[in-house]
Amino acid sequence: MSSRTSSRKVSPGSARTEDRFAGGILTGIVRLVPVVFSVSLAAAAPVDFLRDVRPIFEKHCYECHGGQKQKSGLRFDVKAAALKGGDSGEPCIVPGAAAKSFLIRLVASVDEDERMPSKGPPLSPGEIATLTTWINEGAVWPDGVDTTTLIAKTDWWSLKPLHLPRVSALKPAPRIDEFVAAKRAEKGLAASPRADRRTLIRRLFLVVHGLPPTLLDVEAFVADKDPRAYEKLVDRVLASPRYGEKMAQHWLDVIGWGETHGFEINTPRHTAWPFRDYVIEAFNSDRPYARFILEQLAGDSVAEDRATGFLMAKPALLPGQIGKDQESKDRARQDELNDMVTTTGAAFMGMTLQCARCHDHKFDPVTQADYYSLQAIFAGVRNGERLLHPDNRLSDPQAYQQWSQEQVAATLAVIRHEPVAGSGGLRSEVNGVRNIDRFAPVRTQKVRFSVKEVFKAPATDTRAFLDEFEVYSPAGRNVAREIKGVRLTASPTARAQNLTDGRYGARQGWSTNGKPGWVEIDFGSPQEIEAVVWSRDRSGRLKNQVSIDYQVEVEGADRTWRVVAGSETRATATSAGEKSPAEGSDDTGARAATERLHRNDAKLAAMLDAEMVYAGKFEKPGAIRRLARGDVNLPKEEVPPGAPREIGPPLVLPAASSDPERRAALARWIAQPENPLTGRVLVNRLWQWVFGAGLVATPSDFGHQGAQPTQPELLDWLAQEFSGHGGSVKHVMRLLLLSGTFQQSSHPNADGMALDAGNRLLWRFAPRRVDAEDVRDGMLQLAGTLDLRMGGPGFSVFEPNDSYVRIYKPKESYGAEEWRRMIYMTRIRVAKDSTFGAFDCPDFTQDQAARTRSTTALQALNLFNSPFVMEQAGHLAARVQREAPGPVATQVHHLFRLALHRPPSPQEAAVCTKLALDHGLPAVCRMIFNTNELLFVP
Amino acid sequence: MKPPVLSATGRALLDRRTFLQQFGHGAAGIALATLLSRDRALGASAVRPVIDPGRPLAPRVPHFPAKAKRLLMIQCSGGVSHLDSFDWKPELLRMDGKPMPGAKENFITFQGENGNLVRPLYEFKPRGRSGKMLSDLFPRIAEMADDLCFIHSMTAKSNTHGPADCQMNTGFIFDGYPSVGAWASYALGSEADDLPAFVAIPDTRGVPVGGPNDWGNGFLPAVFQGTAFNASQPIYNLAPPRGSSSGTDRAVGDALRFLNDRHLEQYPGDQNLAARISSYELAARMQLSVPEVSDLAKETAATRARYGVDDPDPIKSGFARNCLLARRLLERGVRCIQLYHGAQQMCDLGAVNWDGHRALKAQYDIHGAVFDQPAAALVGDLRERGLLDDTLVVWATEFGRMPTFQKGASGRDHNPDGFTVWMTGAGVKRGFSFGATDDLGYKAVQNITTIYDLHATILHLLGLDHERLTYYHNGIERRLTDVHGHVIKETLS
Repeated sequence: MSSRTSSRKVSPGSARTEDRFAGGILTGIVRLVPVVFSVSLAAAAPVDFLRDVRPIFEKHCYECHGGQKQKSGLRFDVKAAALKGGDSGEPCIVPGAAAKSFLIRLVASVDEDERMPSKGPPLSPGEIATLTTWINEGAVWPDGVDTTTLIAKTDWWSLKPLHLPRVSALKPAPRIDEFVAAKRAEKGLAASPRADRRTLIRRLFLVVHGLPPTLLDVEAFVADKDPRAYEKLVDRVLASPRYGEKMAQHWLDVIGWGETHGFEINTPRHTAWPFRDYVIEAFNSDRPYARFILEQLAGDSVAEDRATGFLMAKPALLPGQIGKDQESKDRARQDELNDMVTTTGAAFMGMTLQCARCHDHKFDPVTQADYYSLQAIFAGVRNGERLLHPDNRLSDPQAYQQWSQEQVAATLAVIRHEPVAGSGGLRSEVNGVRNIDRFAPVRTQKVRFSVKEVFKAPATDTRAFLDEFEVYSPAGRNVAREIKGVRLTASPTARAQNLTDGRYGARQGWSTNGKPGWVEIDFGSPQEIEAVVWSRDRSGRLKNQVSIDYQVEVEGADRTWRVVAGSETRATATSAGEKSPAEGSDDTGARAATERLHRNDAKLAAMLDAEMVYAGKFEKPGAIRRLARGDVNLPKEEVPPGAPREIGPPLVLPAASSDPERRAALARWIAQPENPLTGRVLVNRLWQWVFGAGLVATPSDFGHQGAQPTQPELLDWLAQEFSGHGGSVKHVMRLLLLSGTFQQSSHPNADGMALDAGNRLLWRFAPRRVDAEDVRDGMLQLAGTLDLRMGGPGFSVFEPNDSYVRIYKPKESYGAEEWRRMIYMTRIRVAKDSTFGAFDCPDFTQDQAARTRSTTALQALNLFNSPFVMEQAGHLAARVQREAPGPVATQVHHLFRLALHRPPSPQEAAVCTKLALDHGLPAVCRMIFNTNELLFVP
Repeated sequence: MKPPVLSATGRALLDRRTFLQQFGHGAAGIALATLLSRDRALGASAVRPVIDPGRPLAPRVPHFPAKAKRLLMIQCSGGVSHLDSFDWKPELLRMDGKPMPGAKENFITFQGENGNLVRPLYEFKPRGRSGKMLSDLFPRIAEMADDLCFIHSMTAKSNTHGPADCQMNTGFIFDGYPSVGAWASYALGSEADDLPAFVAIPDTRGVPVGGPNDWGNGFLPAVFQGTAFNASQPIYNLAPPRGSSSGTDRAVGDALRFLNDRHLEQYPGDQNLAARISSYELAARMQLSVPEVSDLAKETAATRARYGVDDPDPIKSGFARNCLLARRLLERGVRCIQLYHGAQQMCDLGAVNWDGHRALKAQYDIHGAVFDQPAAALVGDLRERGLLDDTLVVWATEFGRMPTFQKGASGRDHNPDGFTVWMTGAGVKRGFSFGATDDLGYKAVQNITTIYDLHATILHLLGLDHERLTYYHNGIERRLTDVHGHVIKETLS
C-alpha cells in the first residue's frame, strides 16, 4: 500500500507563450486546483496505469505536456485532457485501438521530425509495447488518480445565472447606493457630499449628451425650487435626441464601425451612413435590447435593412486587392467571416470568440468547432452594399421618374449637337460618364456593342463594364428601354442584366470577365435608330474599366453586321477622361444643352445612394469547415451553424436553414434571458459610459482573461432590472443618473486618495477629460455655430480626392457644413481629424470598448494653434460681443458664464480683461477653449 | 503681475519621486496604461511598463541591458525586388526566358498569370572584402556590404500591399495595431525632452501604402503614436496660427496657465489635470525645438552635398532632406524613427513606389537613383558620428518580387515567400548574410524567417523581451509579435 499527496496550482495563463502555435488547452476545462487523494496500487494485472503507464508519461512526456507546459494543447497528467488530445484534432488515445491512436504513431515513428518526444531519447521498444498493450486493452485510466483535476471552463462568474442578492425594500435608485456603500464601508471610506447644482447639470449633460448645458439650462436648474428638479432634469436629458447621438458614439466604438474600406485603398462606403442613423434612432426610441440585437444581426428579416451595417463594421479588402490565387481568396473570406464573429461576440456577449479560430479557446468554453459554427451563422453574408427593401428606401420613386424623363429630354438635346461618327474630324475621346455615338438613321432589329480594350487603373483589372445602354430613334425615343421584350445577349464569358432599364449606376449592367466581349440588343422588330448612348458609370464615381477600343454595329436585313460608330473616329483616349461631349464647344446651343444635362447628372449619385445601403450582401450559405490551426489549406469536418455549446441553452439549427434564419436564430439565442452574459455585458457598458470605468474593467471581455466585477451583486442586480424592464436602456440609465453615487462631488479627499486613488470604490465622481467628439461639439456649441441637423450623409474634414488609393489631406479651413456634431463626421479609417483625432479618438479599425485617455503635446498644439479652433474663437468672440455689448470686463464676465457657467474670480477677471485689451477678445476665447475646466467632466 | 509657470501643487504632482511614492506599487498608470484591476491574474511573464500619467514619455529601463538605444527603420514602400538588388541568383541568368520549373501551366500569383523567368535586371558584382554579390541598383549601399547584415529568407503573411505593409510596421496584417515605434516608446519612453519620442518621416510625395497606420498607436494610449513630419511638411498645428503674433501666443499661454493652476488647486492630487498643464509646456518647447532640428541650413556644404540635399531632382532632394532630418533627430535622442521611401499609388503602378509590375527596370532606374545616395549617406554619417554604436538601423520592404515577369508586362509580381531585409548598427553582425531563398529566389528555403522574428530581434536589441512586452486589449495580452517570433540570434554580434 502506498499513498501520495500532491498539490499543485497552475494559473490559466501558464501555457501561454510556451508554444509557437499557442495551442489551446482543453474543451470545457481550464483551471487546476490541488487535490489530495490516496490510492492503493492494484496487484498484478495485464497493464496497470499507475504502475506501468504513468511512469512512462512522467519520464518522457510531462516536460512538454504536463502541468507546466501544454505544448500543442496536450497534457498527459490529467485523464480527460490526455484522452481528448491536442490541437491537431487527431485522436490521441483511442481505447482498444492502438493503431488508430496518434500517441502510438508519434512515439513509434521512424521519422525523426515526427517522432515524439522531440527532445530527449525515444521510448524504448518495451515502453512502446506497454503503451500499445494498455491502449489495446481499453486504456483503463482509473478516475481519481490524477494529481490535479481540472475545473470546467464554464465555472466562471459571468457564465453563471444572475445571482440575485437580498435587497432592502428601498426604491431602486438608492439601491445602487446601498451596494456601493457596503463595498465602500469595507475600506472605511465615506461617500462624498452631493455636488452643487451647477456641477451636477454640467456633468449630466456632458455624460449623457456629450454637450454642455446652455447658460439658460443652468440658470433654470439652479433656480428650480421643485424637490424633483433633478429627476425632471434627468428625464428631460434622456428624452433629448442628443442622447441618442452620444450613445451611438459609444456603440460605434464598441463595434469598430467605419465608413471606408480600410487598408491601402481606403475608399469610401458612400452608403454606410444609414447604419449610424439607425443606431442613433434605436437609442433615442429606447429600442428594447432584444430587438436591437435582432435588427443588427438580421434586420433584413424585420424590415430594418440599415441595421445589418453592424455586420460590415470592419475594414475589408476589395476584390482588386485580394490575390488572384485561391489561397489569398480563401483567406480574405475567412477574415471577413472572422470579423463578423468577433464583433458579435465582443459587442453582445463580451466573449473573445475569435480566440477559437486556430485552436480551442485557451481560457473560455468556446471550442474551435463552436467558432466555425458561428462562422456558419454568417456564411451567407458577404461584404458589400445591397438594394434597400422598398419599405426602407430613402428615395422617392416619383422623383426618380421625373429625373429620368428630364434625362431623356436633355440627352436628346445634346445628341442634336453631336457630330455624326465618321463625318470628318475626330470626335471627343471616350469618357466614363457618357458617350454618344450618333450615326445616319438606320433601320435595324439588333445593335451590338463590342469591346477590345479598356482603360485600366489599376492594371490588374481588365474587365469592361457598362451601366446603361440607350438607343435613340430619330423621333426621340429611347427604344432600348421603351420596347417591351427587348432581349439581351452577351458574349459567353460576359454578363448582362438591366442594361437598358433606365436605371443608372455601376451596380448593374454588363460586364466582361477580362477578355474582349460584346453585348447584343434585340428589339424584336426592326426599328429606326440614329444614336446610342453608353456609360461605364453614369454617376461618375467609377472611372476605370472604361471601354476605350470599341465599336457599335447594326444588323442589316441580310443578317450581316455593319459598323456604324466606334473608337476609331474618336480622339485617342489616353485616360478615362471626364469631359463630356460638346463641352468646350463654341456653339452656345450645344453648351446650353450640355449644361442642362450636367445639371441633371449631378443629382444622380445621391438618388442612387438613397436606394442602397452598405449593410452586407446576402446569399445562400456555403458549407463551412473547421480549419486546423485556422489554416485555409487544412480544412477538416463540415460544421453546422450554431452557438457555443457550453454557454447558455443550446442553439438548435438544421444544417439546411437559410441565411436569414441562421442570423435571426443567433440573435434570439443571444437575447434570451437565460443567456447569462448579454444583460451583464450591456449594463456594464452603461455603467462605464456614465462613470468612466465599468464595474467590469474589460467591457468586451467577460471571460477568464478579463477583469472580475468590482461590485458583482450590483452588476447582477442591474442586469435583473434591465431584463425586468423589457431590456430598456433608458430605464437603467435613469437608475444610474438618479443614484447618489452619480451625484457625488468630484473633489478629492485625503482618505479617498490614500486608500483608493483609482476610485474603484466610488467614493467620489472621478473627473475625466471629455471625449474627442465632446471637445469639438462643445466648442461649436459655445461659439454658437453648432448645427444640430440630424442624420443623412456625413461631412468630411478632408479635401475631396478621388484617386484610386484615397489620399486624406485635412482641410485648411472649415465652413458651416463641417459644424455638425462629430458623430456625423464620415468615419475615415486610420485618418483621424487633424485637430481632435489626437484626443484618443479611435481610428475606426478595431473594437474600442473603452477608450484610452492620454495627454499629449500634440493635443495641446492642436487645441492651441489649429485653424479650426482659431475660427471658432473668432465666432465665440463675436457671439459674446453681440450678447454683451459694453466694456471688455462685461464681455469677459459673460464669456465665463457662457463657457464655465460661473463668473470669473476677481483675479481671473483681471487677467482676462488685460488679455482682451492687449490682444483682443478672440485671444481670451482661444484661451478658454484650452482650459481644463472646460474640458473635464466635473 | 506675471502668473507662475506652474503652481507648486502642479510641480509636486509631476515630480517623479512623488509619483513613485504615491503610485509606485504596480497600480501606476491606472488612468493611463491599463484597464485591469490589480487582482486580475496576470500572465506571470507579462511586464507592463510603469507609466507616469504626468510624464508618459519619461525614459524607462528595458527588460535587460540594451545594445541599441534608438531605432531607425528605413522602409521602401511597394515591395522592392530582392532579385534585382540584394539576392544574387546566378541560376536566373541561366534560366532567363525559360518557364518556371514545376509551375503549373498558368502560374497564378497576386495579379494573375505569369510569363517566363527573367534574369536580374541589374548587374551584380562582388563588393567589399567579403565579396558579397550585390547589384548596381544601389551602388553606394552596396559599397557598405562589409557593414551590413542581410536576411535573405524573410517571409510576409500577405501578398497584398496594405496588409503586408501593416505587418512590417505593426506585426499584424490588419489595420489598427500599434506600430513598432509605438511599442518602443511605450516600453522605453524617450531620451529627448523637447521632441516626440517617435517620429515618422513619410516620403515627400505622400504616405506609404499602409498610410498613417504604419505609425499609429493602435490601442496603445495616443501619447505613443508616431508624430509624422518631414523636411517639407511640418507637424500639423506646430506653427502659431496665421494672424496671431508671438506676443499674443505667449499672453494666451500665460493666462491659460493661470486659469489651469487655479482650477488645479480645487483638485489636489489630480494627475490628469496636472499632466494637461505640463503638456502645454512640452508643446511650447517643441515649437522651438522642432523648427531647430528641421533647419538643415546649419549643416555644412559637404554634408549637404553628401546627402544630395541640393540635387536638382526635387524628389531626390526631398528624400535627401528627410534622411538628414532623421540623423538630426537621432542625434537629439528621438527613440524611434520610421523613414519611408515611396508613397501610395496615385497614378501608374510603380511610378511613386517600388511596385514594379509593368516596367520594373525603367521605374527602378529612377527610384534607385533617388534612394541610394541619401540613404547611404545617412548610414555612413551615423557610423562616422558614432551613432551606430547604440542605434539599430533596419532596412525593410513589405515583400519581394517574383523571378518571372507577369504575362504581357515587363515587371514582376508580389512575392511574400522570400525576400531580403538588412540591418546594421548596434548589436548586429557586420558583413553577414543569414538565410537563403531557393536557386530562383522564389521561396525562402534556408533558415526561413518571419516578420515576427525580425520584430522580436529588433525588440531584443532594444533590451526588450518580445514575449513580455504586452498591453491588454479586448481580451488578449497583445504583443508586437502576436504569439510568434524568435530572436534571430545568428545575426547578433
